[in-house]
Amino acid sequence: MNLSALIEGQPAAIFGLGYSDPSLVGLYCIGLLMLFVFAGVRVVFAASIVGIIGLVELIGWGPALGNIGSIPHSKSVSFVLGLLPMFILIGYLAFHAGMTGQLFDAAKKWVGWVPGGLAVATVFATAGFAAVSGASVATAAVFARVAIPEMLSAGYNRRLAAGVVAAGGTLASLIPPSAILVIYAIIVEESVGALLLAGFLPGMVSALIYALIIIVWAKHKPADAPRVTGFSWAERFKSLPGVLPIFAVVAIIVSAMYAGWATPTEAGALGAFVVFAMAMLNGMSRKTLGDALMETSKLVVMIFSLIWGILIFGRFLGFSGLPETFANWIIALDANPYMILACILMGYVVLGMFMDAIGLLLLTLPVVYPAVIALNGGPDVTAADSAFGMTSGQASIWFGIIVVKMAEVCLITPPIGLNCFVVNGVRPDIPLSDVFRGIALFFVADILTIAVLIAFPQIVTWLPGLIG
Amino acid sequence: MPSHTDTANTSLLFTCDKGLSWIENALNVIAAATIFIVMIVTTLQIGARLMGSPVPGFLEASEQSIAIFAFLGAAYGQRLGAHIRMELFVRFVKGRARWLLEMSTTLVAICVIALLIPYSIGFFMNAFTIGDTTLDYGIPTWPSKLLVPIALSIWLSRLTIEFAGFARLAIWPDAEPVGVPVLKSTAAVAKEEMTEAFGRDDAEFRPGDDAR
Repeated sequence: MNLSALIEGQPAAIFGLGYSDPSLVGLYCIGLLMLFVFAGVRVVFAASIVGIIGLVELIGWGPALGNIGSIPHSKSVSFVLGLLPMFILIGYLAFHAGMTGQLFDAAKKWVGWVPGGLAVATVFATAGFAAVSGASVATAAVFARVAIPEMLSAGYNRRLAAGVVAAGGTLASLIPPSAILVIYAIIVEESVGALLLAGFLPGMVSALIYALIIIVWAKHKPADAPRVTGFSWAERFKSLPGVLPIFAVVAIIVSAMYAGWATPTEAGALGAFVVFAMAMLNGMSRKTLGDALMETSKLVVMIFSLIWGILIFGRFLGFSGLPETFANWIIALDANPYMILACILMGYVVLGMFMDAIGLLLLTLPVVYPAVIALNGGPDVTAADSAFGMTSGQASIWFGIIVVKMAEVCLITPPIGLNCFVVNGVRPDIPLSDVFRGIALFFVADILTIAVLIAFPQIVTWLPGLIG
Repeated sequence: MPSHTDTANTSLLFTCDKGLSWIENALNVIAAATIFIVMIVTTLQIGARLMGSPVPGFLEASEQSIAIFAFLGAAYGQRLGAHIRMELFVRFVKGRARWLLEMSTTLVAICVIALLIPYSIGFFMNAFTIGDTTLDYGIPTWPSKLLVPIALSIWLSRLTIEFAGFARLAIWPDAEPVGVPVLKSTAAVAKEEMTEAFGRDDAEFRPGDDAR
């Protein structure tokens, strides 16, 4: 480091490289970023300081800080980002809207007759609640209270009971409203509406694959997961009004995106209002509302900070040209694109074991996303000429769904597996080891889902394709 | 065992921590209330628009209000450890080494915020001086831009208290932590998540309970 040159604001004062080899500066800074992140520096600060260091090296103090000084405000104050607090608020209010019990009851009456009926009902009930709450961990917490007692009293294997609840929570990431898909859309500059629509069918497929796995388990070991029968059609139809608010919220978001009668932010606000009204009708206290708003604000500021921190780092990456260099390197490997994609996804499994899904996505996307788009054939490729059989826009949405699903899978994998800890926290009588054993099969189901989404990308691209 | 000097320092740190916490709580209340108001007003606006009488300038005003909840709660979140990080390595480090590591990581945070503050002031001053407004309805942008240096300054104060708190622990590793976020186990985080999901009044689990 050349201290006097650094003080004078000259480039090349830190690594002695400047613009002579910007990609190498990029690599040094990625190393520095990893060092900071592993040392426990909060991601917003690690990304920002590395972005600043890299830019100072490339263009000197004055231009570097002049370049990034406006990023926190200019990138945060954007109408589309107003959607995030609405989705997060829905998550915090969903439990108080009192829909969980009715949802599980309806699911039980409609699908209880299949092998493993209560567990299958739990999958669909968690899918419904997770869709509205958008919060994986909260969903696992709520259904550990609602579904596990009933499954255990019906004689279900406790590993299966705990596993289905922990895994069911992860369905929150795909079915709209989903905050993490909004964050992905913002980072890769893709349409928020298209991403939200795209998550709907993969979320359904995920739930169906979970259900199939349970049915296979129950067929193999009927004593582990008995059926629940004896419900009349009248009882089934009577259970439906209780779940209408869930359908209302999902319908508001999906129809607004599809028909365009409201912007994503407006649809989010209306969805939040519906859940708020339900919660008030259900007797939510003013104090609980206050707590939910304070928690929402805390999570919102964390996400906004993370976004501008990563965008500072992204600005540096843009100057360094490293994403293009990495993309060119990936293409030059001349390996099967699906093999490269599998390696990238494996990387997410490993990193996801140690890091929160949002942080993981934000840290990796600035480099990984351009490489995946290049792997598909570049930003202007047609579906016919592409590696994955889709246009660049479709590939962008498709990769978003896959990578978000991948990041959420890490909520059930050791050593962190927060959903499993939550289930154990609510049900201390089920040891953590049993919860982790219980989710093993659902981990396989998740891998199967990702394989299905890769093999049949139309599941992802069909719905957003309808809005053009 | 903490010394007499430590007790005096702790008292000062505790007072600063308490005073700043009050400001942080107040700012987060403003941010939280804004989220609620935006939800209500946006819902009303949809109705007004569908009935053919949209509120003029609503979109631009709503956009400017984002700065309130995007920044004002930043220090509050810092105090409660909301800003995410990887804790894998930090958990392995114990005693004085842990506090020295935490001091270093906090110093990185201080550098970032201290560097951003003057430039965010410049960004605000520029908007204020030239009378910058939104494109269609001419809403001034400086109030929203002013929130950034204000929030960052409070955040810097919080980080400075954290730095002092970690420095104190580095000197007296057995002292009671003051002004620093506590590192929680995954089980503790899980418990917190449950409290957030159920609400504080309803967090206690009774076996067989229905969620309602």
